[in-house]
Amino acid sequence: MRHLPRTLLAVALAGTTLAAVAACSSGSGSAATAGSGSGAGGTYTFWDPYPQFDTDSNWGRTVTACGTAAGVTVKRTGMDTTDLGNKALLAAQQGNDPDIMLVDNPVVSTLVQAGILNKTSDLALDTTAIQKNVIGAGVVDGSAYVVPIGANTLALYYNKNVLKAAGVDPASIKDWASLTAALQKVKAAGKKGITFSAIGTEEGSFQFLPWFWGAGGDLTKLDDANAVAALTLWKSWVSQGLAPNDVLQNTQTTSWQEFATGDYAFGENGTWQLGNAAKAGFPYGVISIPGRNGGSAPAPTGGEFVTVPVQKDSSRYATDKKIVECLISARNLLATDTTLSYVAPTSAVQTQQVQANPALGPWVAAVAAARGRTSGGLGTKYPVISQQLWTAVQSALSGGQSPQAALGAAQQAVANHQG
Amino acid sequence: MTLARADRPQRSPAASRATATATAADAGDARRRRLRGRLTSWAFVAPLIVYLAAFYLYPLYRNLDLSLHHYTVRSFVDGDAPFSGLDNFRQVLDDPTFWPALRNTMVFTLVSIALQYGAGLGLAVFFNRRFRLSGLLRALFLIPWLLPLIVSSSTWAWMLNSESGVVNYGLHLIGVAPVDWLTSPGWALNSVILANIWIGIPFNLVILHSGLQNIPGELYEAAALDGAGAWQQFRRITFPLLRPVSAIVLLLGFVYTLKVFDLIWIMTKGGPGDSSNTLATWSYRLGFGSLLPQFGPGAAVGNILILIALVFGLLYIRVQRRQEA
Amino acid sequence: MTTPARRSTGTTVIGLVLTALMLFPVYWMLNVSLTPQQDMRRTPPDLFPLHPTFAGYQAVLQDQLPYLLTSLLIGLGTVALTLLISAPAGYALAKLRPRGGGALSIVLLVAQMIPGIVMAMGFYGIFLDLGLMNTWWGLIVADSTIAVPFGVMIFIAFMSGIPDELTAAAKVDGAGTFRTFWSVILPVSRNALVTVSLFGFLWAWSDFVFANTLDSGGDWRPITLGIYRYIGNNNQEWNAIMATAVVASVPAALLLVLAQRYVAAGVTAGAVKD
Repeated sequence: MRHLPRTLLAVALAGTTLAAVAACSSGSGSAATAGSGSGAGGTYTFWDPYPQFDTDSNWGRTVTACGTAAGVTVKRTGMDTTDLGNKALLAAQQGNDPDIMLVDNPVVSTLVQAGILNKTSDLALDTTAIQKNVIGAGVVDGSAYVVPIGANTLALYYNKNVLKAAGVDPASIKDWASLTAALQKVKAAGKKGITFSAIGTEEGSFQFLPWFWGAGGDLTKLDDANAVAALTLWKSWVSQGLAPNDVLQNTQTTSWQEFATGDYAFGENGTWQLGNAAKAGFPYGVISIPGRNGGSAPAPTGGEFVTVPVQKDSSRYATDKKIVECLISARNLLATDTTLSYVAPTSAVQTQQVQANPALGPWVAAVAAARGRTSGGLGTKYPVISQQLWTAVQSALSGGQSPQAALGAAQQAVANHQG
Repeated sequence: MTLARADRPQRSPAASRATATATAADAGDARRRRLRGRLTSWAFVAPLIVYLAAFYLYPLYRNLDLSLHHYTVRSFVDGDAPFSGLDNFRQVLDDPTFWPALRNTMVFTLVSIALQYGAGLGLAVFFNRRFRLSGLLRALFLIPWLLPLIVSSSTWAWMLNSESGVVNYGLHLIGVAPVDWLTSPGWALNSVILANIWIGIPFNLVILHSGLQNIPGELYEAAALDGAGAWQQFRRITFPLLRPVSAIVLLLGFVYTLKVFDLIWIMTKGGPGDSSNTLATWSYRLGFGSLLPQFGPGAAVGNILILIALVFGLLYIRVQRRQEA
Repeated sequence: MTTPARRSTGTTVIGLVLTALMLFPVYWMLNVSLTPQQDMRRTPPDLFPLHPTFAGYQAVLQDQLPYLLTSLLIGLGTVALTLLISAPAGYALAKLRPRGGGALSIVLLVAQMIPGIVMAMGFYGIFLDLGLMNTWWGLIVADSTIAVPFGVMIFIAFMSGIPDELTAAAKVDGAGTFRTFWSVILPVSRNALVTVSLFGFLWAWSDFVFANTLDSGGDWRPITLGIYRYIGNNNQEWNAIMATAVVASVPAALLLVLAQRYVAAGVTAGAVKD
């Protein structure tokens, strides 16, 4: 019997381990109940894709203040935009979605498809003052699910020094031919042409769309002649050395960093870089992206939307509505969009913005002319198309396939997917 | 070693002692002791089993469940996806990406572990010699492991950048034309393998070095007295005695390399095209790479990976058992 | 006796060169962390931070210190939990050899193959039900799942190399199984213990997927999530990101050097003898 106590000891050891684990699990967290507290007062959860702003930032304070005004505490969590979409689905599956969620605009159709979001009309939110094309990306089957917090779009930044040295007048750039000619002059003058982002993610598609639409391309026909023309343009720039080879890897941030070296004549980038442009250390200008045969190409709208996810406890909606209305009040929109360097979604606030910062003028015009990616009835077809589009861009630019073949394969893949 | 030995229905030391004394004591006592021995051993393993059941069973079940149902984002949230049998697997196997991805996975895994193990073993033997700063330098070799993968992978991507990367700059200095490390279909896979080897060396170094330290120094002294040179010592003592540890390093290395995705994802996203796409990155690309997740096919690819690891694990156990027999 | 000393110096030089080669990417990261935003894509790149900016570090030191402490806590907690579960199990599987041990080994192998993101998705549901979301101890449990299967396999590999005579002798002295494990097996397995602890710590330290899925709203967040502050929707501040990584690796690197000292000092070659 001498061994028995030791055996027991071993069992006890095992037992303590379990107890430790069990002890861990019995300590209750607050998150589980966060999504389903009772009506007035209490904590409201808030997710946004701005992890760069902490509680003390202007944005953090705005959110807190809007909660206080509605009589509740808002618990805000910022996370990376890709994670936000995935996590929203995961949370919805567990019935734990936040009360209010800010999402990047192309994600909206997916979330609507998943049945996560409330219609703005059901919440009786007033969206009449908001520009139609900006809210467009949040409209699915005729119903709006979102309120834009701010909008952005793409244009061409140019380096005045480089263009002057190469003898290029930015006003002469009217279409693709004149742009390519300008790039060649710049290259001949020993500088670099243009940088953009052609990375294999949504960013790559976002940046390609102005050229795609500027050629008259149609997202439901990826392999038509117009689409091939747009991809051929990019391809020819890369193969002639007018654009660097690393565009294939560039995010919009790294593409901006290339432009910021001062070696590049043009950089395709967004409204949000305005603040950085002022710090770049060289004079810059902005022109809209030219269409193939002249005129401005339609650029895609970007920016985030405020959404109210479906809650089990519908008594929360009244407070959610108050918080949302506070966030999109003219005063807060102005503050938020100034912080983010976005264009406000209402013309009243836009006027104030341009008064404060005339550099925003061309961007306001660009946003007014921009087009939603999921608009035109594409909805959840867009993510599938977009993925094939950036894949085709990657194959063509890397020399794996010709533009024609790459886009043909993309269209085929879309067709297979939609079966 | 190890896996196989644990598997063999061999008697525990306690049990064998019991058998030895069985002639003196009565048979019932022996049986009781054997039972107690078994209970003890299970008591030691029990926490692990509970732990595995609590934390791995559900994710494993979930992965299987995802791959056998036709999930849309809607049914993912509502949890009412229709059962679709092996449709997801069929879809994945018929996809033109499958074979290139499988080939890339094999090349990536085999080349990575071969070179990681080689470099790790060489360094372990090197650091096993006592010299000034050896401990410090060995610790420094671990620094790559301290860095979050998002940082180390990004650093590699910057170094290998075709325009402003330091590697191409180095090549330029010695008069070699720049290489599109990450953006040409021919180089992308090699480049991610290179970065992965760099990340894997510390792992191999540490474990092999610990293994080396378990080899008694007297063996080397005796061999040196017998006139064995460094190479002879390595071949006759180090390598054979390091076999159990080598085997586990290789097996774990295989499993870990098979599932590497963040490194490739950050450096190339599996591109350009599919040129550095492995099963792991493809699974992620399907499941999370676009705005509209395809959980089913993504999970199916993940399960194919698990299957591959399983096959190699069984193969490994078989080889081990044959060697021991 | 000058020859061995000279040879030792020569070896040290080779060691230094190898380490420098290995750590070049780390140097590069350091370099980037000091590079101003507009110089990051310069061709040719600056090999040295000629115009260093400490903006990244300023931001990091202001914002990130509490995260470091959490990471330390989580790392150590993970090591403790991992050892508690894997060392006894490794011993039993290597030496006591219970029936079904082989099947268990296969399960361990498969367990390691489950993609991290799927594990995280699984945990998400479990943690919500148990109320473990956004807690540091929950994260310890999650992080330990990376290290436990590894720990068990390493312990099996190392402990099966311990000669049976050693345990048999303990038995003869009247030690029970637990006593044998505690006072004979564990001291001899010091190398394995340190190895498992080291990797357990490192994995927990650099984990991102679990932290992001399970603790992104918590008050106690690890340093890897701190990096997020510099990854905005349209903008990534690379010098701050790299600076975070540098700052994050310093305490951990110190810990490593100390651990290595300890291993080097603790090598008792005589303990395991055939």
